[in-house]
Amino acid sequence: MERTVTVVPEDGLHARPAAKFVETANEYDADVRVAADGDDPVDAASMLAVTSLGVASGDDVTIVAEGEEAEAALDALEELLSTPETEA
Amino acid sequence: MTADENATRTYDGTGVSPLAGVGTAVWYEPGGGTELEAPPDPADVDPEAERDRFDEARDRAREELEREREQTADRVGEDEAAVFDAHKQFLDDPQITDGVEAAVDDGVPAEHAVQRAFEDPIEQFAGMEGKMAERADDLRDVRDRLIRLLTGGDRVDLAALPEGTVLLAERLTPSDTAQLDPDRVAGFATAEGGRTSHAAIFARSLAIPAVVGVGADLTKIEADADVLVDGEEGTVIVDPTSDQRERAAGGRDVEIREEPVTTVDGKSIEVAANVGTLAELEGAVRQGADGIGLFRTEFLFLDREGPPDEAEQLEVYAEALDAFPDGRVVVRTLDVGGDKPIPYLEQPDADNPFLGERGVRRSLGPDADLFEIQLRALLRAAADGDGRLSVMFPMIATVPELEAALETVESVAEDLEAEDLEYAIPELGVMIETPSAALLADELAERVDFLSIGTNDLTQYVMAASREDDRVAALHDPLEPAVVRAIARTAEAGRAGDAWVGMCGEMAGDPDLTELLVGLGLDELSMSAVTIPEVKAAIAETETTDAEELASRAIESSTKEAVQKQITETNL
Repeated sequence: MERTVTVVPEDGLHARPAAKFVETANEYDADVRVAADGDDPVDAASMLAVTSLGVASGDDVTIVAEGEEAEAALDALEELLSTPETEA
Repeated sequence: MTADENATRTYDGTGVSPLAGVGTAVWYEPGGGTELEAPPDPADVDPEAERDRFDEARDRAREELEREREQTADRVGEDEAAVFDAHKQFLDDPQITDGVEAAVDDGVPAEHAVQRAFEDPIEQFAGMEGKMAERADDLRDVRDRLIRLLTGGDRVDLAALPEGTVLLAERLTPSDTAQLDPDRVAGFATAEGGRTSHAAIFARSLAIPAVVGVGADLTKIEADADVLVDGEEGTVIVDPTSDQRERAAGGRDVEIREEPVTTVDGKSIEVAANVGTLAELEGAVRQGADGIGLFRTEFLFLDREGPPDEAEQLEVYAEALDAFPDGRVVVRTLDVGGDKPIPYLEQPDADNPFLGERGVRRSLGPDADLFEIQLRALLRAAADGDGRLSVMFPMIATVPELEAALETVESVAEDLEAEDLEYAIPELGVMIETPSAALLADELAERVDFLSIGTNDLTQYVMAASREDDRVAALHDPLEPAVVRAIARTAEAGRAGDAWVGMCGEMAGDPDLTELLVGLGLDELSMSAVTIPEVKAAIAETETTDAEELASRAIESSTKEAVQKQITETNL
């Protein structure tokens, strides 16, 4: 299953939001990949891969998850990306 | 061989043992940098071993990062500390770990594999703008850390140094020094550290010539240089002259006495070793110790995730007893707090840790469980010890504290009895470290088998002066009359209360003070192993009546200069 989300945090998918994103993706029993608009999806468990996407605030990303907890992982990641950093 | 005088260079530091040694310089941590030698033939590389090395390096990197994160959070702030979290994440990043593992499986050594795995991501980030480019620096940091740990910090190397090595290092951690083999290491010198650093204590225990605190100049010494380490003068000499070399090779002209010694008139004085790791037991035996007068147990609890269980401790205490089949082993129960933090124990920041919750204060409080487990192991070890095991409690300040500790011993004994386990009640004693304990020594002596004076802490507390603080370090002198009188009072209380009295501070290991200490009436002197031969020799030359006269003159002195003068005059 997949979901497209608009990235709210000011830093985009860098620094702390990216770290949080990778951490969350790793928490679930699911294979999670993430793609920036039109690019190939990368491993969401890799901080390097995620930050290399160069996603800025306001960009859309597509998250693809497979596995037992795919839905829960998507919910958590969507929540994270929809929340301004100060509240996260 | 004629030494070229011009080539001789001398660096100053703090000498930590009265020994000198010459050897070939080996750098423990090369000065950083990521220039690696060409990788060997893939056929000669064991991928499994390389994977293990990589995993170990990551574990150590993670530990370092956690420590640095904490320090940064304390000193600078949470925001700045967050960078270490990012570094930690890179360590476990699948893009890196997969890359390294794939290269290792192709027969590439771990350090080269690390370098390769980081190449692409670094290049990718470096080519971006702003924040992204900074990531490249973070990645370089993590890469260099791993490579340093894989090349310089290789644990295996320390245990397998070539014979005649003079080890040079920025600093040596407790686990580093524990691996040093005194037969192979001719000496070591570190840029950091002071007389009381772990490395210094260890050097004295194992009788390794050592100089610490040399500073950044140490890095000017090239690997493979011919180096003399003079622990007496506190100098590190590159390309020493033949004179200097000869003096170092001459060593000490003091005989090692394996048998217990007596004064000229036949009074027995036990000479024992202070030991803080199992590795030091051998050094103690070799220097002719009669037993262990201070077995610090903190090492059992350091550098690990959780406390050791009863069985593990039992084994360690048994090993100490085995090392001295005819000698006494005095174990001090866990003394944490002060400057000895242990990661898995909750130790809230104290305004003044040395006046805070440490030693028995913790054992009777937050660490009651650990105390009980330790006592169980000690009582069980005592069953096989033929009465040679003794247990003492650190930082006692009041009689009720001692009574609570003794009651815990009783209740542990009852538990062991009920469980039908073999045990014995060991000799029990108190460390005299607080002024309160010295003033109450008569009360304490009535309740225990022995007293042991810890002069380092006693001096610090009596004089209210830390020796770590240069501005007041002169006050931290055990020859201050107040300290001498506290020792005299303790010794007298011991005699009256039928408790033997020992000393396990640095003062006990100074052969110039042996006569004074014998005169003050001490029954046992325990020290870093290295000076045992000198102290035994000093005892054998001491006449008890002369010593007692010296002691009474010292007790009556009103300044430390006067005490010192009495000692100097008798030593003439």
